[in-house]
Amino acid sequence: MKGNDWLTPEGTRDLLFEECAAKRTLEERITGIFESYGYSEVITPGIEFYDVFNGKTRHFPPETMYKLVDGKNRLMVLRPDTTMPIARLCATRLRREELPLKLFYNQSVFMVNPKDSGRDDEFEQSGIEIIGGENEDSDYEALFLAAKTLGECDKDYRLEIGDSGIFREILSKINCMDGDFVEKVRIGIETKNYPAIDFALEELDDSEAKVSLKMLARLFGGFEVFDEARKYLCGELLEEKLSRLERLCSELSEIVPKEKIRVDLGLANKKNYYTGIIFKGYVEGYGQPVLSGGRYDSLIGEFGGNDAKAVGFAVNIEAAAKVYLKNKGKSLTKTADVLVFSKNKIEALKHCEKLISEGLIVRNFNGECCVCAEKFAKSHGIKRLDIVNENCEVEVREV
Amino acid sequence: MEKKKIRIALTKGRIENKAVDLLKKIGYDVTDLLEKGRRLILTIPNENIEVVLAKAADVITYVEHGVCDLGVVGKDTIMEHGGKFYEIADLGFGRCKFALAVKKGNDFYCGYGVKTVATKYPEVTRNFFENKGIDVDIVKIEGSVELAPLVGLSDGIVDIVETGTTLKENGLEVVEDVAPVSARLIANTVSIKLKQERILEIVNLIKENL
Repeated sequence: MKGNDWLTPEGTRDLLFEECAAKRTLEERITGIFESYGYSEVITPGIEFYDVFNGKTRHFPPETMYKLVDGKNRLMVLRPDTTMPIARLCATRLRREELPLKLFYNQSVFMVNPKDSGRDDEFEQSGIEIIGGENEDSDYEALFLAAKTLGECDKDYRLEIGDSGIFREILSKINCMDGDFVEKVRIGIETKNYPAIDFALEELDDSEAKVSLKMLARLFGGFEVFDEARKYLCGELLEEKLSRLERLCSELSEIVPKEKIRVDLGLANKKNYYTGIIFKGYVEGYGQPVLSGGRYDSLIGEFGGNDAKAVGFAVNIEAAAKVYLKNKGKSLTKTADVLVFSKNKIEALKHCEKLISEGLIVRNFNGECCVCAEKFAKSHGIKRLDIVNENCEVEVREV
Repeated sequence: MEKKKIRIALTKGRIENKAVDLLKKIGYDVTDLLEKGRRLILTIPNENIEVVLAKAADVITYVEHGVCDLGVVGKDTIMEHGGKFYEIADLGFGRCKFALAVKKGNDFYCGYGVKTVATKYPEVTRNFFENKGIDVDIVKIEGSVELAPLVGLSDGIVDIVETGTTLKENGLEVVEDVAPVSARLIANTVSIKLKQERILEIVNLIKENL
């Protein structure tokens, strides 16, 4: 029977040439943004304890994580996310560090996708986390950097902003705290499943909150959403959240084109460690969000650290690179400027070094036949052939 | 200004016919859709809408990946297949239900033994019995599920029931409804944000003409 020695596992692939170039280009530009804003890089282990991703507010479905056991039979996972490890890091080795901390990362994450779904099981994420700060002012920086990051992926992007507190605030007004019911409504709102929301809410008595829940999934779009929302979302706390979000968006529009900023008040995320704003980034040509982030003020405390306010986001570099490559007209990979041929292999390498020091890209021809070298240059689009003879003289030929 | 291009995936067959009727009612020019021959990609001129025809589960796949912005697919397929998309409207047509059926006169829930259920929809069946906290063995059957209890493969079946005629003719009867089914309008989660005005315009027209 044929083994698996010539396959890559499902959901993974080898990246070649242009794909690598697209990925590296984006990676460099995006981490360049983070570095220019004074963020410091961290790298966390690829393998983490299962427990890091399974806590009070951290629900990573076990079936979506790659699992293995260590030498002591403890359950480990390939990291499905980088925010949890960073929260762990902040609660442990960085706990005495002066806040705020500004961290960035650029590493692969792993997840098990449904069979034959055509999605990546391994993909690279770049992101930032701003840890600490008196209030929620870091939201501005996180959102602005998210917009800049999206701009590197594609000029035609959208940054969508919501507040995870809005859904929770409306829920608190309803006396029914049945977990199944709440989850049914949450899923309905998250997936904008209007028939399901209406059906689930049927069992509730008529109230302001019921109308709010019913409308929440429909409240998305441009800045006009805020006025629309005020018709259905009443109460002091909700008004406060709406006003803050509106202020955030309109102030942000001074430095981010207004048409790029969208609002969705129905972002009721399953990852309920989010405590404040949540946001997503979209680009044309990729059917899922390429960027997502939000505020998580109690997560570090959950890891046993000091409660520190935090906000961050991650961008899927793999997805962004696919879009970037599709939109990119010209070639991203570099062909050599000069092909170097010599029967004396040491002289050939010496000549290569000389050309490189002049800023050229060289390709050293490993063969004995000069005609073959010329043929090779032609077929690889190399315009110049340098032949070094026995007397170390160089003949330059245009190909 | 030219309208943004929207691509809609329709489930081939009965749902397609009803959906085309609906598009016609809206006032769209559906000539191309009625004279399709064997083509799979059709256009609604003047509206910059492209209609593609696909099998039910593929409609979900195309919408999920964002190559189609909207899709029309039965709730039965959505329940079995799952996926990340917005389910924005119940179109009302293609109405039927999932039901648990057994041989006439049999009591499915009697005794302590683990029961065997044959079905074309293992996910739907699993979810149904999991929610009830009942252990069952599920056998996946590809067609004519009614046969399974008759030849003794299973104690019951979970299947789509429209009129109940097939069940009756084979000596089976419904013991319990599992879930109602009808055609749904689904949307890609990114498309609806990037082309919001255009998509909501179409969605509203559809809703008004239901």
